[in-house]
Amino acid sequence: MFQVDQFESVFRSALHDPFELLLPTAESMLVVTDLAQDEANAFAARVGAFLGKTSLCDAPAVHAVSGEAFSSTTKLLELVDASDTDLICTYRNLHSEAWRYPHSLGEYLDVLLQRTDVPVLVLPHPGADYAADHALQGADVVMAVTDHLEQEHRLVNYAAALVQPGGTLWLAHVESRRTFDRYLDAISKIPTIDTEDARRRMEERLLKDAHAYVNTCAARLAQGGVNLQVQSLVEFGDHLAEYQRYVETYRVDLLVMNTKDEDQLAMHGLAYPLAVELRQIPLLML
Amino acid sequence: MFLQAKVTWGALALLGSAGLAQAEVHAEAQHVAAEPSAAITYCFAVLLVAMILSLALEEKIHAKKSLIVALYAVVALIAGSAMGLMPFGSVTLPGGHLIEMPVYIPAVDWGVIAIILGSSIFVDVTSRSGLFTWIAVRLTKASGGDPRKLLWYYGLMTVVFSAVLNNVTAMIIVGSLTGVSLGKLGRENKLLAFLLVEGLLTNIGGLLTLISSVPNIIIGNAASISFVQFFITASPYVAVATVATILLGARLFDIRALATAEERAEAQTLVEAFDENDGIESPFFFKFATVMLLLFILTIAMTSALPVISDLGMGFVALAFATAMLIRYKSDVDQFYKAIDWDLIIFFMSLFVVINVMEHARVLGLIGQGIGLLIGDGESSMGTGVLLLTAAFFSSVTDNIPLAAMLAKILSASGTPADSPLWWSVVFGANLGGNITPIGSASTLVAVTLIHKYKLPLSFAGFVGKALPYAALQLGLAVIYVLVFVA
Repeated sequence: MFQVDQFESVFRSALHDPFELLLPTAESMLVVTDLAQDEANAFAARVGAFLGKTSLCDAPAVHAVSGEAFSSTTKLLELVDASDTDLICTYRNLHSEAWRYPHSLGEYLDVLLQRTDVPVLVLPHPGADYAADHALQGADVVMAVTDHLEQEHRLVNYAAALVQPGGTLWLAHVESRRTFDRYLDAISKIPTIDTEDARRRMEERLLKDAHAYVNTCAARLAQGGVNLQVQSLVEFGDHLAEYQRYVETYRVDLLVMNTKDEDQLAMHGLAYPLAVELRQIPLLML
Repeated sequence: MFLQAKVTWGALALLGSAGLAQAEVHAEAQHVAAEPSAAITYCFAVLLVAMILSLALEEKIHAKKSLIVALYAVVALIAGSAMGLMPFGSVTLPGGHLIEMPVYIPAVDWGVIAIILGSSIFVDVTSRSGLFTWIAVRLTKASGGDPRKLLWYYGLMTVVFSAVLNNVTAMIIVGSLTGVSLGKLGRENKLLAFLLVEGLLTNIGGLLTLISSVPNIIIGNAASISFVQFFITASPYVAVATVATILLGARLFDIRALATAEERAEAQTLVEAFDENDGIESPFFFKFATVMLLLFILTIAMTSALPVISDLGMGFVALAFATAMLIRYKSDVDQFYKAIDWDLIIFFMSLFVVINVMEHARVLGLIGQGIGLLIGDGESSMGTGVLLLTAAFFSSVTDNIPLAAMLAKILSASGTPADSPLWWSVVFGANLGGNITPIGSASTLVAVTLIHKYKLPLSFAGFVGKALPYAALQLGLAVIYVLVFVA
């Protein structure tokens, strides 16, 4: 016989909020560096060329900030506020030698990411040699990553806006295998729940919504005439290892991720470790 | 005492010479059951009243109704046997073959059990195809999220599902969809209204066909009313009562249509988020289930006219269709057996045993005399109307199934003809009485459970207060309908 919860589950499962297409555009771009002004201008030109073919940056006003323009995080924030920019482009460990050691983002980038609402494009350090050979050559392959790919309209819109025409947009959702196994271990000790049945159903359920959302993204982007291919990567695994593997396997040119977390001052979930570890390609941090 | 006289169960019943539903089952009595004294009859009547009260207090005593009635069945059988009321002996099968059978086995109406068992498995398997959720989601999208349209669509869906499935399943499907969809539309403030109206409509839909509710099955079997005859007689009332209930609900709860184009566009976008195909695991099985459901309704409707099938009965049809549907899950059929509502099945079996003992103890005869005083010779309009309202009253405070089973026995035993409006008084009264209180029917109880699940305040008295205008309207319409159109 039927239970109330049984049918509520069926109807909740049938409820898929579709992707809402609203591609952003950046009318102005602030390139923050710790370089001399002429080097900063050259770096800004390189970033402009990298993003030039994308719909996000269709001829924006580019303003290059040299290292002399700020000497503290407070001054940098004032400068950003005054610029009223739509996109900040910068790199790790400004005004520091720590970029030689791949363990941190540096205080300026840390503060920028948490204290401004403007998306920040984190680029490989201009002095470093760890950038991938395809980095900054063009945004042909862009990947949006999240551990909960559902109603992530802003994330997908930014990622789509950063794909150059004819390129590929990867939408990646990695469900933590470690967390899943831990819950399953608890379930395996509850006599009234069939462990194998629970494993099968939960695996299927956890990935189903993400797949459905990717499908609506592909459909709406196609309807909107956005010239790109949508591919999905929805699977179980270890977040960091999987994303590193994806970046290398699919030669990702740009990674897009969420940074802010309403419930904490610290950076959202995986954003910090990804930003520290994935230094070889540009990252857009929302 | 050990005579080889062939007697009928009906003759052994203490209602004079009238035959009973199980008259075709013969017992080779090894002793003649004793004629109970008035004192014994009253003792058993007290036992019956105690059982009905226990059922009414099911929620308070935290016991399932199957256990409650089974305990009374045990006590009644022991007491009936000790007092020599029960006719022990072999049972003669139609071919003349004698078999030993415990006295409580032929007491059960296995035709009713087969219908309930077969239908519930059939509906359970069919629901796995995603058919019912597909219909429900399509209707939600067709409403465009407009609350007024949604009330009409959900109301009509409740009636149709109650008629085709059963009241409880219909309430669960439509009620759970209501919770999810009104939440999505941000109309939680109308949830109480929707759930209440839907709960009340389940008992209207339960009147539509012979298999829509258990009282219908019991009365239909007892009075030999065919599926088609039942549908033709009941459907005009169901149509009128449905429209009246929805209109009253929209008026009393101020459920209005969306006023502006912006509101309509926003609501449309929100309901478009539902994917009707989400629950469909296999398109083939979806189509198969649709065809089978239509065939099931058609076969049930034509059972009495189909050669061979008419002999096997509706219970066979239900079980046969359930078996055919189970082929889809041939390696997992046990999960459907586990999901059978054994509480309901055992409740019925025990109830039939209790009623059988009460029959032998002349309690049903006693109640029959009381009803006789109420309805007179059964020919007067007053009597028909009084029986309907009395049945509704008793159905509102206790389970309508024992009521229907008892009244069916009593009307059968008194030789009530199949075309008598008294049968319809019991059908309408037993079904509609469930709309007066939250414990009056299983489906209104589900509605109240859903209301409480969504943390909406509604006490017992609160339910009665809100439901009374609807129940009064429906019962008023029913009395007029039975007296003017059925009589």
